[in-house]
Amino acid sequence: MIENGLGQQTIIRRGRWTRRLAKYAKTASMAASGYIGDSPLFMFDYVMRVLRVLVLLSIWRIVLSEEGASGLSLQAVLTYTLISEVFFSQLNPRTSMEDAFWQGTIAGRMAQPLGLFEQFTSETVGRWFFEWCCFSIPLVLISPLLGVNVLPASLGAGLLFIVSLLLAVSVGLALEYIFCALLVIWQLPLWVMLQIRSAFITLLSGAMLPLAFLPDLVGEIFSWLPFASMASAPLQIYVGAGNTLLLVLLQVFWSALLWPLAHWLWFKGREGMISYGG
Amino acid sequence: MAAKLNSVWRTLKRIWQLWLFYAKLDLLLLISDVRLALIYFSSELLTSIGSVIGLLLLAQRFDGIGTWTLNHLYVLLGYSTLVLGILNTFFNYNLSLISRRIGRGQLDHVLVQPQPLWMIFITEGFAPLSGLMGLIPGILLFAWGLIGLGVSLDLGWWALLVLNLFASGTIMMSFNYIWGSLAFVAPRSSEEISSSASRLLDQLKVYPLDGLGGLLLGSLMTVAPVGLVAWYPVRALLGLNSSAWSIWITPLAALFMLGIALFCFLKGLGYYATTGSQRYSSLGHRS
Amino acid sequence: MPPQVHNATAHSDIVVELQDVHKVFRQRQRSSRLSETIRHMFKPRIREVRALQGVSMQIRRGEIVAYAGPNGAGKSTTIKLLSGLLAPNAGRVRALGFDPINERVQYVKRIGVVFGQRSELWYDHPVAASYEWKRVVWDIPQDRFARTQKRLIEVLGLEEFFHSLARELSLGQRMRAELGLALLHEPELLFLDEPTIGLDVLSKRMMLDFVKELNRKQQVTVMITSHDMAELEQLAGRMVMIDHGKVAFDGPFEQLRQTMSDGRRLIIETSDETAPSLEGAELIESQARRHEYRFDASQIKIVDLLNQAAKQTSIIDVETVRAPIDEVIANIYQSWRKPKEVLELEEAL
Repeated sequence: MIENGLGQQTIIRRGRWTRRLAKYAKTASMAASGYIGDSPLFMFDYVMRVLRVLVLLSIWRIVLSEEGASGLSLQAVLTYTLISEVFFSQLNPRTSMEDAFWQGTIAGRMAQPLGLFEQFTSETVGRWFFEWCCFSIPLVLISPLLGVNVLPASLGAGLLFIVSLLLAVSVGLALEYIFCALLVIWQLPLWVMLQIRSAFITLLSGAMLPLAFLPDLVGEIFSWLPFASMASAPLQIYVGAGNTLLLVLLQVFWSALLWPLAHWLWFKGREGMISYGG
Repeated sequence: MAAKLNSVWRTLKRIWQLWLFYAKLDLLLLISDVRLALIYFSSELLTSIGSVIGLLLLAQRFDGIGTWTLNHLYVLLGYSTLVLGILNTFFNYNLSLISRRIGRGQLDHVLVQPQPLWMIFITEGFAPLSGLMGLIPGILLFAWGLIGLGVSLDLGWWALLVLNLFASGTIMMSFNYIWGSLAFVAPRSSEEISSSASRLLDQLKVYPLDGLGGLLLGSLMTVAPVGLVAWYPVRALLGLNSSAWSIWITPLAALFMLGIALFCFLKGLGYYATTGSQRYSSLGHRS
Repeated sequence: MPPQVHNATAHSDIVVELQDVHKVFRQRQRSSRLSETIRHMFKPRIREVRALQGVSMQIRRGEIVAYAGPNGAGKSTTIKLLSGLLAPNAGRVRALGFDPINERVQYVKRIGVVFGQRSELWYDHPVAASYEWKRVVWDIPQDRFARTQKRLIEVLGLEEFFHSLARELSLGQRMRAELGLALLHEPELLFLDEPTIGLDVLSKRMMLDFVKELNRKQQVTVMITSHDMAELEQLAGRMVMIDHGKVAFDGPFEQLRQTMSDGRRLIIETSDETAPSLEGAELIESQARRHEYRFDASQIKIVDLLNQAAKQTSIIDVETVRAPIDEVIANIYQSWRKPKEVLELEEAL
């Protein structure tokens, strides 16, 4: 029984949130099952990623001695590389927004009763679930065969990694939406933006190459940029390297700064977005 | 005999004519919008640099990688950048990423042209200016490495270099086409399969593969021929392999891969003629 | 009856010949359930779609043939077979004396194809550059090219956007440019697959007038598909209708009307606002003193209807018109959807 207005409001709000979450979940499950609508060929990408991680692990074994370098042991670097591949999509979150622009379907998206960021984020998360089942978990399971200790440096590091990973996703998605907004505002061809973005993120995020291994000043500068909060921060926390508190605070800072910026840029580019989307 | 020679001459003349025309189109595209051309060149340059900078910085930090000195690595990175530059110069407009054209149902645009398919494939993607930004960093890195190594090279070596560069490019293209042929069967899920195939070779081609285990190295020299894109031919060209004959391995492998690619593509094309494409994606037909 | 010519050759006046053509597509079936979807990944459920089932037809040089049918009837499949994009599973396809698949290169030099939903124009280039591309690839002699291009620019009104990028054109402009591109090499045979889809009335009229003129002056044979029956009737003398992969009708439009019924409209203006009740005609609209009836002229005479009306009210004005072709076609499509038993029953009645 609802006894007062406050109680009623609370229930209505809860109902609204449940409905909203149901919308996100439905969108996510559609995106997840959309992957397997055709044939199992999408697995090809996963096989390639396994090959890539095998080559990278071998390179580290050639380059580094057991003691490692720059405060990272060989085993820590191997773990760093493997975890980076396991959480590859979360450390470099990509939505299907660019495709929607390219295919001219963005205007249709605006007719849906969900915010654009919410739609694309739900879809992206849906695809992650699928990838975790088909790629990430199997990769973790075979890690002993690759000679890699996949466990975090400590229980605390593991817990903090989860927090840091969520913040990394937040920073990554904010940057994704900023890139998309710039695409519209500057009226750039899509592939140009994708190329620039890929070139920046591969190097600056530290997902492929720990920033600590870069020449001193370069690595130091890169570690303060928002891209480092996307991958380098959670990975460092996982292997127990770096100043955890500083890394998390920096992620919070970038997240707090980039989301309002993304919203502002979208507000600014709204007109152009429709014309870009045909 | 004379008639045959005449026909070959006519074909070569036709290829040249088409190359000239597509080069003109490429020029028109770039000069029609200077802002876009600058953005395009910058992004191409950034991509070229981005693909090698990680390994370069790593090599700088550790003073080489394994037995590869910095100068050896410059040559390796230069060679690998050049291979991609050559592909981007000759097979632009999704001609190297063929699964996009097949998967989007856009092969029809090729089939309505009154020319043999092979001629369309070797000419339509010619974009010498757009490909320049991939070639220049490659040439610079390659030259820098060679100068650093201080080796004296004769004309034969340069000829073998060109042969190996084109062989490596053929291997990448063939790999893309072998996998891309799957798009005939599953157009939607395989639309980007050539991109995935290309990405695999592209991302791993810069690494020296010396320390890999037998099985992995064997795989990377055959089923996923990463090693043949740069590492093996560069070892052969720099005389790091024990056998002098190793310089011919990449060209021979290229012929073999090309044969497989032709077989797969023609099989797929036969299938396409019976099923057609039920999918047309109008992403700018030569996007 | 046209003379039967079995081999379409460059010298014969039969330019297109389809003989008992069959085309079957295999379509994977999907499920909305995750468990089934995963199972189908490895063990696909296939449905065979019989797009064409024994289609035979001939088109003579200089004809304009309207090719119509409901969605999914097999129209585009036929156009693709004739454009050299698809091979039949069985039967024979010849056009201009060629096998479109095996003699593709020679054949496509002599035909033009426009797909309403696709673009042959180079997306990032001005229209002019696509025309120049066509000249080089189709090997069109420079003087002929210059002459044809000039004429097409004039007639199709391409001047204002000839130097604009293809991606910046409106749909109407793009379709005009597409048509021009398809005609640049002066093809003898033109396939137009829904060329007017999405166009406004003016653009449609312009395009159709142009095709008609082209056919009249240059004897270009045209096969056109569209869902707009009025436009097809305006353009073509002959209609081929296809349904479920089979030719359901092949003949002049007039015959098509008679096949169903001689549907007419009777509009009468009366002295008062009450519509007279007419036996043998159905009142479809009544506005003030103007009343519109539908009737079948093969069943009841107009004069009988007028006599009935005159007995009930005084008639001020009378007008009769033929039922719009769209209505005739809609009735045909509707009848195709009816179960066989219903049709037999209707026939018996």
